[in-house]
Parts: sequence; structure tokens; C-alpha cells
Amino acid sequence: MKRMLRLHRIFVAQYMKNLMEYKVDFLTGAVSFLLGQVIQIAFLGIIFSQIPNLIGWEFNEILFIYGFSLLPKGIDHLLFDNLWSVGYFIVRKGDFDKYLTRPINSLFYVIAEKFCVDAFGELAIGLILVVYSVIQLKLTITWYMIPLFIVAVVFATLIYTSIKIATAAIAFWTKASGHITHMFYMTNDFSKYPTTIYNKFVRTFITYIIPFAFTAFYPASYFLTGENPLFCIGGTVVASVLLFIVSVWIWNRGIKAYESAGS
Amino acid sequence: MIYVNDLRKEFKKAIKEPGLKGSIKALFKPNNEIIKAVDGISFHVDKGEMLGFIGPNGAGKSTVIKMLTGILTPTSGTCEINGHIPQENRQKYVKEIGVVFGQRTQLWWDLALRETYSVLKEIYDVPDKEFKQRMAFLNEVLELEDFISSPVRTLSLGQRMRADIAASLLHNPKVLFLDEPTIGLDVVVKDNIRNAIQKINAEEGTTVILTTHDLADIELLCNRIVMIDKGKKVFDGQINDLKREFGQMRDLGFELQSAGDLSKLQYLSDLNLSADDIELKNEGASVSVRFDSNKVSVEDMLSYTLSKVHVKDINLKDADIEEIIRRLYRREVSIDEV
Amino acid sequence: MRTYSPFTRAGMLESVAYRANFFCFLIGEIMSCFIMFFVWKAVFMSTDSETFMGFTMEDMVVYLFITFLTGYLTYSDGTYAIATEIRDGSIAMRMIKPCSFDMCFLFQELGNKIINVLCIFAPLVLGVEAYRWIITGACQFDVVHFLLYVVSLVLAYLISFYFNVSYGFMAFYLKNLWGADILKEVIINFLSGATIPLAFMPKALASVLNFLPFSSLSYTPVMIYMGMYSGAEIALRMTMQVFWLCVMILISKVIWNHAVKRLCSQGG
Repeated sequence: MKRMLRLHRIFVAQYMKNLMEYKVDFLTGAVSFLLGQVIQIAFLGIIFSQIPNLIGWEFNEILFIYGFSLLPKGIDHLLFDNLWSVGYFIVRKGDFDKYLTRPINSLFYVIAEKFCVDAFGELAIGLILVVYSVIQLKLTITWYMIPLFIVAVVFATLIYTSIKIATAAIAFWTKASGHITHMFYMTNDFSKYPTTIYNKFVRTFITYIIPFAFTAFYPASYFLTGENPLFCIGGTVVASVLLFIVSVWIWNRGIKAYESAGS
Repeated sequence: MIYVNDLRKEFKKAIKEPGLKGSIKALFKPNNEIIKAVDGISFHVDKGEMLGFIGPNGAGKSTVIKMLTGILTPTSGTCEINGHIPQENRQKYVKEIGVVFGQRTQLWWDLALRETYSVLKEIYDVPDKEFKQRMAFLNEVLELEDFISSPVRTLSLGQRMRADIAASLLHNPKVLFLDEPTIGLDVVVKDNIRNAIQKINAEEGTTVILTTHDLADIELLCNRIVMIDKGKKVFDGQINDLKREFGQMRDLGFELQSAGDLSKLQYLSDLNLSADDIELKNEGASVSVRFDSNKVSVEDMLSYTLSKVHVKDINLKDADIEEIIRRLYRREVSIDEV
Repeated sequence: MRTYSPFTRAGMLESVAYRANFFCFLIGEIMSCFIMFFVWKAVFMSTDSETFMGFTMEDMVVYLFITFLTGYLTYSDGTYAIATEIRDGSIAMRMIKPCSFDMCFLFQELGNKIINVLCIFAPLVLGVEAYRWIITGACQFDVVHFLLYVVSLVLAYLISFYFNVSYGFMAFYLKNLWGADILKEVIINFLSGATIPLAFMPKALASVLNFLPFSSLSYTPVMIYMGMYSGAEIALRMTMQVFWLCVMILISKVIWNHAVKRLCSQGG
């Protein structure tokens, strides 16, 4: 574990050097991400200027859920973005060979190689929204809420990452699976709003099938209402650990099926 | 050291009829075909040996290498290297091998070459002192000094290949796999690389397994070759054996004093040969005769020729490895499974 | 026309070959429409009014899905295609081919589009109309508006195509277009009214945006489909579209000629 952290730091340092070669590009990207989020929030503002609340949720509560959803998404984006490349081209081009001829875990290697700095845009907006809405709502914060908050964010991140690992691994059989990752990943937007606005089918789907509801609404609702900690936080932990186990299993099976590419 | 036993690898390949119609058909009824890329190959390699893998395109060379390096999982059969099975406990195994794929680089594209080595040092856990020694050695053999501070994307192909070989040797592997290490390089660079490989083999006793299309690589580097075709092994042995066994074809070249004398040479009838055993070509007065030295001795051939015609110049060429292999690829020579 | 049919065919083959990718991608993208559908449903449940800033619930649904359809069909890969060719130097090959550079791209992309149109156009329009019928109890489909929409959609696509081609030439100056591309998407989605309907924006901003080329890309065709515009307004808007199309074609030609000069003097 210590070696992994050390290696990770070295990879990040290398990646940053790499990035400096493309400073302008990366800055434009990060600013654009930010801008996109600001526009989305402005839209929410317009909607709430016309209605008192959204079936019982007031504007600041929605902002809290929205902001919370950006935290695990941003961390996943920051640390585990290279999984997209696995599904889009690393396997198809046969470049995965490289990861298999190194004396470190292939999953770890592929993940650690990239460090997606533009995610700081998402993280910043998420944090600002959470802090702003907590102040506006005058939420009382008890001491144990802070570790619980961290636990919730960490395990919520694991849900994102596990879904990406599992869908990226499909490429070992089909050569390319970026579009499958995309399809599953896009489901995460459902978690930005209270699940109570959806019909029963969608609610069941994002709770039990692809548990994105645990990446934002459930944990966030606990911090907003203080109700149901076992389901809201415990559920996040259980769902993410189960998903992670399954995805690593698929990954390892996938490596056995890897066919490389003709030389 | 390396034991390979009845190794097989099958791939599924979707067959698609051409054109838009075929594409739409494949959409509803995919048609799969099983391709035996490697079809029961066995061999073994001793420590310190340099083994050349040859065969036509698509013969399965790279597939074998990829199974030996743990990248592909065999459909059946086993390979064991240094007591490791590559697919099991991969991380431990790959510490003992170095791999270079000629058409693909393992270097960090946008960074100075030096950076690649310092990352690899960490990945392979090479201690500082050893790292310095290794770098000094590799520098000497592969002459990296001139470009070690340049970004990899600016290196020439020859420099990149040297850098890649150095990268694969940083952790002092026991076995080095080279997949087409001289592809696309000019003659001088090829020579450099061959010398370096030889030196590494001699000084470190590194076992080297290489695939190539360049037969000069084989002649200059390998004590032994394994030839495969259509996934099967067709030859395994010393190059000299190959020459001895299949190199019976000789080339006799000479220049006639008058071109009209050519008709006096009736090899087929006078020496009692069949058309398969001899082939005569001429361009005006210069003649070349390719003959099977098992059917007619060199001595008989020479004395018959000299007795019939007057020649200005005469030479006899040894069996050419390239010619043998060309004939093998074309299946003109049949070999029993060794 | 005959010169370009192989390009169209190649484009069609390509998109059939990647049909699985296409469907997965589509499902991923259309998901956001459904999310917004539920959000709007909740909005209308939370207000006593029948309308929201002049839109009824079924207007909103039509707006969502037709905007998605329009955005999808007017999407052009021109930027990426040009940038790739500039980077690997194959743009020079365009100069020695006996056809104009933009037409080759255009017809290849059209081949791609034909398949996509077949797959999503009818289902989406039918779905939207069925929904409107069920909710309002009467068929709301208007043939005239629909046909005008199709014309406006084609204009929108062409504007988008030439805009993207021009944008792609930035690759001559930037090492990587990743960031610039995201910026383009965000800004266009905002300015064209795809993210927030222009009607919801402050009056002054909305009227400025209405006269910029971006509203021609999405908002104009969608409003025509929904029958929000009067006859005179439709005429004005479509004239604007034609105007902007001419401007975009002109710009792309100027840039291309500039690029040819640059290629000739610098050798790529």
C-alpha cells in the first residue's frame, strides 16, 4: 500500500509535467466545465424564481443535493479518469499490453497513470454549493456529521469508479466499450435531484440496479433531514463495496480474455 | 529455463460479407469463425541462449511471444519460464523479464527520456545504487547520452528503439523478449542494435527471444531458430542444421566466351537429372545454374560444365539462408515435425 | 453529385459498423431528457398555474425532446475531422483530390446522418406526438409546421457544419483542441437556447441571442415545430438562417484559402 501511494505520487508528478505541455488547452477545458455548471445552476435558479418549492424541497436543499453530487463525481473524475480510455481505445489498439508487462497491478497502473486536473472545477463548484446551502439553510452540524460526510463521499466515489471499472472491462471481450461506460455513466445525472420526483421504476432502478441514488440524494438527504442514517449512509457503503467486488471480479476475468491486437 | 508444451491459442473472428448488405446482415446474424493462431507448439530454451522466431506474417509469432510474456492467456497448453507460469502471479513474473515491441513504445511520449527511466526505476523497485550502475552500463552499450534529455516524441526511430531496449533492461531481467526490434531501421542502426543485444547477452547472460523478418538478425544473433507457420512449428534447430538439411541448392555462375555455346550444355539429359533438380538462367553470355547438390555433386557439375564450354569467370555460391526460408515459406521443402 | 456518393456510402457503412456504440450513446444522451421531464413534472406539480412562463407541461415535453432531436441531428463532427487531418498532415491530401474539401466532409457526414435519422427521427417525433395526443386528447400534429421544421433543421445542420469546419482550423494554432472543444459545446448550448429556452432568459439577453447565429442552430427550428411563431416570424427567422449560412460558408472558404496558402508555403 505504501509503495502504491509512492508510485501514485510519482505518476501524478509525471502527469503534471505532461500537462504543462498543454497548459492553455487544460485551462480552457477546466473553465468550460465550470461555466457549464454555472449555467445549469442558473437554470435551476430561473425555475425556482417561479415556484416556492419543488414538491417540498426548497431551492437551497436542491443546491445542497446538487453540490453533494458533484463531490464524488469530481473525485472520480480527478483520480480515475483513465478508465474511459481503456474502453475507448487502450484495449482496441492493443496498448493494454504495456500494463500487463509491469510488476504492478494492472488496474492500479491504468488508473494511476492519469490525473485529471480539470476535475477541480467540479470539486470547487460542489464545495461552494454545499457550504453556501448549509449556511443558507442554517443547518446544525454535530461533530459526527463530518466523519460521516467524508465516509459518504468516499464510498459514493467508489460507486462511480466501480461502474467505470466494470463497463471498461467489457472492452476485453468486445474490444471497445466506451459507449457502454457512457450509457451507464450518464445515469448519474438522476442523482442530482430528489428521487421523490421520479416514478417508481426509475426510483427502483437508481437505487437497486445502478445505485447512483446513493452517490448524492440518499446521503445528502440524511444530512438535510437527519433521518434514516442506516439506509442513507449504510446503504452507500454496502452498495459501493458490493459493486466494487463485482467490478474487480469482471476486470480480472476480462484480463484473461484480453486478445491484444495484431502486431 | 523456458519450457513450452503444446501451446494453443484460438481467436474468434466475426466473418462479415462485404458491402452495406453484409454489414446489415452481420447486425442480425453474426457469423463467427474460430482461428487457430497457435496450434500446439512445444520447445524449450536454455539459459543464455538467443533464440530467433521466424515465420511469415500472421504465422503466430507475436501470439506466442504474447503468451510467454503473460499478455495473452493460452487456450490450452502450458508455458513455464524460470519456474513461473506467466498468467499466474503475473506481477512477480514480469519483474524477471524485459519486453520490447518494435512497433509500440513503452516510453512516456511527451516527457524527456530520462523521466521514463526514473518512473521505471520506481515501478520495478530498483535501488538507487543499482540504478546508477545499470544506467551507466546501458548508456555505454546503447549510447543514450546524446538524447536522454530530449522529449521522446522528438527521437528518431533508431534512437527510440535503443531507448526502448534500455527501458526493458533497466531491472536486469533474466529473459528479454524482442518483437521485431529492427523493424523500419536503417542498416547502420540495425547493426548498432544487434551489437548491443549481443553484448548484453554476452556480459549478462540474458536469455534473448526475438522475432524478426530480417534474416540478417537471425544470422548474426541467434544460435538457434524456431520457425513457425500457420500456428505450427516447422523447424527447430541450429542455423547450420537448417543449411545442411535444406541448403542442398547451390548456385553456379559463369560467363561464356561465346553466347552460342549455351546449347552445348544439356544438364538434364547428360547428367540424368529431373527438372526439379536444376534450373538454368542466362542473360546473354552470363549464366547461372541452380542445382541440387544431393542429386549431383559439385565436382561432377563443375567438370561437366568445363568439359563442354569455355568460360571466362566462374563462381560457386553457398546455400543462402534467405533462399531456404523463402522456399520453406512457399512450402517447397517439407519438414516432418521435429 | 455522383463524385460524392462514395463518401456518403462510406459514412453509412461506418455508422452501421458502429451501431452498438451509436445506440448506447443515444440512450446515454437521451437520459438527460428524461431527467428534465421528471423535473418539469415536479415543477408543474409544485405550482397552481397551468403554465410556466408561458409554457404548458406538454409544451415543455415537446421542447425537451425536439431540442434533443434537433441538437442530435445538427451535430457536426467537422471540428474533430479537420483537427485530426491537420495534426497528422493528411489535410494536404485534400488539395490533390479532385473535389472540394468541404463537400467531401459534408457527404461523408451525411451518410452517417442518414442512418441516424432513420433510427431516431421517426421514433422521437411519433413518441412526442403520441404523448401530446394522450395528454390533450386531440392530435396536435401540424403538417405545415412539421415540413417547415424539416427545412429549418437542414439549414441549421448546414450552419452547424460550416461553423464546426471553420472552428476545426484552430488546430493550426493550438496544440490540442480538447479544451477549446468543450468550451465550444458549453457556449453553443447556452447561446442556442438548448440548455435554457431563450424565452426564460431576461428580455434584453433573449433578443440579442435571437439575432446571433446560434439561435438558428436549435431554437428557431424547435419554435417552428411547436408552432410558437407566426407566419411573418417564421419568414424572418428562416431568412436569418439563410443569412447566417451564407456567412458561415464564406468564413470557411476564407479560412480554407488561407490554410492552403499556409500549407503551400510551410509544407504542413
